[in-house]
Amino acid sequence: MFNFQQWVNRRIPPAKEVTLTQRKIFILPSKISMGLMMIIFLLFLVGINFQNSLVYIVCFWLIALLVINIFYTYRNLSGLTIKAISAESCFAGEKMVLELEVSRPVKQRKSAIYFGWQNEDLVELNLQEEQSTRIKLSHSSKQRGRFTPPRLDIFTRFPTGLNTAWSYASMDVQGIVYPEPIEISQPSDQHNSDDDMTDGREISGGTSDFAGTREYQPGDSPKHIHWGQYAKTGDLYTKSFVDYESQDIWLDWQSLNISGTEPRLSHLSAMIIEFHEAHKQYGLRIPGKEIQPSKGEAHKIRCLTALALFGLPQEEASYAG
Amino acid sequence: MLGKGYQLSQQVTYRGMIWLLAAQLVVMLPFAFYLPIWLIPVMLASTFWRIRVIKGESGQPKLVVRLFVIALGIAGVMFSGMTLLSLDTMVSLLLLGFAFKSLEVIRQRDALVVVFIGFFLVAISFLFSQSIPAGAYGIFALIILTGALIANQQSPAQQLSQNSTRSSLKMASAMLIQCVPLMILVFIFMPRFSPLWSIPSFESHAKTGITDTMAPGDIANLSKSDELAFRASFTGRKPAADEMYWRGLVLNHFDGKSWQQLPEEYDTDELKDQLQAIIPWKRNSVEVKGEPFRYEVIYEKTGQPWLFTLTPTTKVDGQTIQFGDYRVMSRGDIQSPLMVNAVSYPDSKRDLELTEYARQSSLQLPSNGDEKTRAFARALRADSSNDADYVNKVLRRFAEKAYFYTLRPPLLGDEDTIDKFLFESQKGFCSHYSGSFVYLMRAVGIPARIVVGYLGGEWNKNGDYLAVRQYDAHAWAEVWLEGEGWRRVDPTAWVAPSRVEGGLEAAVDYEGSFLEGNLFSTHHFKWLDGIREKMDALQYGWRRWILGYDNESQKNLLKSILDKMSSVPLAALVGALFLGIFLLWFAMLGLLGRKTYEAYEHQLYRKFCKRMEKHGILREPQQTPYEFALIASEKLPNKANVIRDFSTLYQQLCYVPGGTAEREAPHQKMRKLLRELG
Repeated sequence: MFNFQQWVNRRIPPAKEVTLTQRKIFILPSKISMGLMMIIFLLFLVGINFQNSLVYIVCFWLIALLVINIFYTYRNLSGLTIKAISAESCFAGEKMVLELEVSRPVKQRKSAIYFGWQNEDLVELNLQEEQSTRIKLSHSSKQRGRFTPPRLDIFTRFPTGLNTAWSYASMDVQGIVYPEPIEISQPSDQHNSDDDMTDGREISGGTSDFAGTREYQPGDSPKHIHWGQYAKTGDLYTKSFVDYESQDIWLDWQSLNISGTEPRLSHLSAMIIEFHEAHKQYGLRIPGKEIQPSKGEAHKIRCLTALALFGLPQEEASYAG
Repeated sequence: MLGKGYQLSQQVTYRGMIWLLAAQLVVMLPFAFYLPIWLIPVMLASTFWRIRVIKGESGQPKLVVRLFVIALGIAGVMFSGMTLLSLDTMVSLLLLGFAFKSLEVIRQRDALVVVFIGFFLVAISFLFSQSIPAGAYGIFALIILTGALIANQQSPAQQLSQNSTRSSLKMASAMLIQCVPLMILVFIFMPRFSPLWSIPSFESHAKTGITDTMAPGDIANLSKSDELAFRASFTGRKPAADEMYWRGLVLNHFDGKSWQQLPEEYDTDELKDQLQAIIPWKRNSVEVKGEPFRYEVIYEKTGQPWLFTLTPTTKVDGQTIQFGDYRVMSRGDIQSPLMVNAVSYPDSKRDLELTEYARQSSLQLPSNGDEKTRAFARALRADSSNDADYVNKVLRRFAEKAYFYTLRPPLLGDEDTIDKFLFESQKGFCSHYSGSFVYLMRAVGIPARIVVGYLGGEWNKNGDYLAVRQYDAHAWAEVWLEGEGWRRVDPTAWVAPSRVEGGLEAAVDYEGSFLEGNLFSTHHFKWLDGIREKMDALQYGWRRWILGYDNESQKNLLKSILDKMSSVPLAALVGALFLGIFLLWFAMLGLLGRKTYEAYEHQLYRKFCKRMEKHGILREPQQTPYEFALIASEKLPNKANVIRDFSTLYQQLCYVPGGTAEREAPHQKMRKLLRELG
């Protein structure tokens, strides 16, 4: 049997950028247009029975309107270029946000075009004055791992609602779905629990935390001069800073007393968020991958991505960027 | 296929609703002229109520209230004195439903249904009037309805923009105009059928024009009207002024005062069989002679079945019947403009043999009365050598004695009207002269009869067609002579020759009674003649080509096309014409032209990215042009300016509504910058 979905998949392969052309646009009369067809039929009967030319004219005009409409609705969709910008990463169970850039041909204004998925987000797009715009669509994510948003439905009924023109866009864009953060209470590992609350050793001459002032010495960075003090006293003082070298916290797969891969990943995911928010330095050790202790946004993402892709087949290099 | 389950807003928006209500009013308005007047306030109230609902000033009416209002409306229609199952009643009910429907419009689907019913009603309004203004108004209503359709599809965001009303209107007009070529093709080629079932007659039975009795003064009444009776166009020979006797009815029966048809002669239903049995229409009773007139007549609505042709008519098509007395009638009362093609041979001889029925009915006279006339007739006949001589003597008497043609004749009372006219007043118009002439004939046993119809008509400027108006109504006589058959005699012409040559206006010029009492007739204003002429030509075209386009015209048109197609160059020409129309149409729809969907600036930017790639700078999809420009100019510091300018231009073109600061030619500038990049 003919499988429409498979046929569409073959016809519209995934791409980073897609322009809706004739071969990609489908169009059918909408259900409500049956009402107009009935009216047309009635008018034809009236025209015959009363032999009234003007009734015929209205009847034929409506037929022509139905036909012309196909072109209008088609044109409202055709030529639209959809470019995948990004798929933002998210935690499993959250909404993944897909960002698209949609642009129109120069002279064709576009109205009331809908982008979305069934039972998911739906966004209406109008391109009147501007040539292109960016839209964000969210799609729910269930499993950790790489996530490619499903084929996007794009449809419009403009201008009259008598026809529905639609198309699909498979966006070749991937987001990472991190394991859902679920902290599981467990008898803590000795090594970790000891150091959890200590701040670690101070490293003087740092740049992060304000530690006090001292007299200015030539060579001090002007950035660090305490101008407020200078205003009051007339002497130059230099602010001194310290960095903390926290003791490395290791999030270690082996030391977790949790059974099952996914719960472990979920727990690690929760811990990463917790440490990140507490500005702590942490490292991640999971089978096959070790990430040295560090901190900051990029580090967090690296760790979470490692968790998300744990045990999944290696992706081709082209998606690494 | 596109399934369900999209989180789509289905509600009618405020603006969509306003459009819908406006369209409803536009659709309902013309019905005010034909249907009970109370429908108007009801429709207005319903609209007003709905507007209050959208503004939140009152709630959505409850079901009970709606049912009550509907019941009230139906009761109103029932008690309006309309026939229960007439078209008027049905249209009134439909209108009420239409008016109330808007009260429950909440979803877009309902709005569409309202618009569809609106389309239907626009067409239905043409059952009541088919005039040009009604047609123009219909087009206006179609535009508004289509606009409402569009406005209901626009998103709320779009509706908020200032010119949304104008853009909906513009789009609706454009769409409908683009529909025209297709509509015309369907109109021309769609097969026409005859009515599928008989429809209840719904139009008012007001009768206009010539009627089947002629009392003295009747035709004078008609002469006060400048309404159109019919238009005729000729192919080939055109009739001269004294040939344009448009024969309509034959009045045989005289009761001493007025002339009329015998009941069995005008009751059409019985007539079809009966009269044809009595006076069978025999082809060989006409001896066809001379050159024919071939013409096409479009009769205006009269509510009567009489048709007017140049006699004798040998061939006539359409829903018509021909009778033994050379009358042509429509098969039913003319309720909408009727088009008929006919061929007449005016030089033919008619009825060399007279049937007994015809002889008797054309010799009938009251048993007594008008004794003076009878005596005069007998004396004059005795004085004449034969019947033809007698006819001439009578006519010469009209010409030589002091008879006057006037539209203001003195009253003649109820008895001996012929005596009084012939010997006392001697003032009258066509009905007086033809009546007394026929009386004089019958008094001596010469078969004669009154014929009423129209004389003359007004050619339009190009001479394409003849417009015959009510004031052209005329009565003349036919007299049967041995060896000659029926001869047309117009006694009025002997009294007032100008009536034949110059029409009524010329004949009564001396007394200024033309269109008397019709002060506002445009015929009184000579300077309006040009406009009147143009309006008339427009009306004619409308009647001829639009209202009158039926099965017959379709056949003729196709036939003439096919005939002409036989010559190859012409076929090529027609083919090229059609092709041209279609190309034009497609161009209008924007289906031709370059297939590049991408805006030019996007193409240029793509080239720009390719150039950058050559320099080893790759653009990530999530990088905005601005970000990319920063990175690129860092890597190519010597081209930084060019990169920056190019990217700025591109961004302005894409994202700034209204375009760039440099209006003149941003694309050209972009191209130049691209060249500089090398």
